[in-house]
Amino acid sequence: MSEALPVDAVTLRDEVRAKYRDVAVNPRGTFHFHTGRALARRLGYNEDLVARMPESAIEAFAGVGNPFSQGSLNAGERVVDLGSGGGFDCFVAAEQVGPEGRVVGVDMTDEMLQRSRTAATAMGLGTVEFRKGIIEDLPVENDWADVVISNGVINLCADKKRVLNEVIRVLRPGGRLQFADIATGKVVPEAAVRNIDLWTD
Amino acid sequence: MLEESGFVDIDIGPPVDTFGGAGGEGKARLFEVFGYAFLARKPR
Repeated sequence: MSEALPVDAVTLRDEVRAKYRDVAVNPRGTFHFHTGRALARRLGYNEDLVARMPESAIEAFAGVGNPFSQGSLNAGERVVDLGSGGGFDCFVAAEQVGPEGRVVGVDMTDEMLQRSRTAATAMGLGTVEFRKGIIEDLPVENDWADVVISNGVINLCADKKRVLNEVIRVLRPGGRLQFADIATGKVVPEAAVRNIDLWTD
Repeated sequence: MLEESGFVDIDIGPPVDTFGGAGGEGKARLFEVFGYAFLARKPR
């Protein structure tokens, strides 16, 4: 029997999609989080890499940490990015895995997919592909990935166990999950956990 | 939850002040919210 979720998964997904549609369309807007190149610097991404990333590839970045601080990816590795957004982490991954590697970004928001695909084309990155989907049901075959990355996305899913089960499914045996996300140092009251607006604001 | 899902060799990096200076800083401070980098491995 599955556990009851704290909020309705579909409603939360709709709210998250609306929020990140705004980021995709107006990345210089005012949000409750930082965005873009200044955020990447704040989170400790490689300064040279951040400096030479085209604005179109980084301006909608809205991560919460740096998954690559847990180790650079290896040449030739196959990577899946959960909630790839504007594509910034996929482009970082593509540089690290090189021409023999592959990167698949998965996102549910059309405006983000359009943004990331346009940036990848402009950068001439043939090793990166963006697929539409939700991370609770990844459009990736079993045991395909050497590494799964993600940045500030899993916390926005009501059913985290389902997400992690999907990660296990798409990772090869011995593969790794490197992700950044937020965590609280205090117990969040039950009423706040069930307030769906607090998940995205 | 990572362990429950079958991951091993779990590591958590140091906290990052993700929301400092942003609009969400107040709520982040209230609940001590920080960003972290996680590493976990699927068993062989």
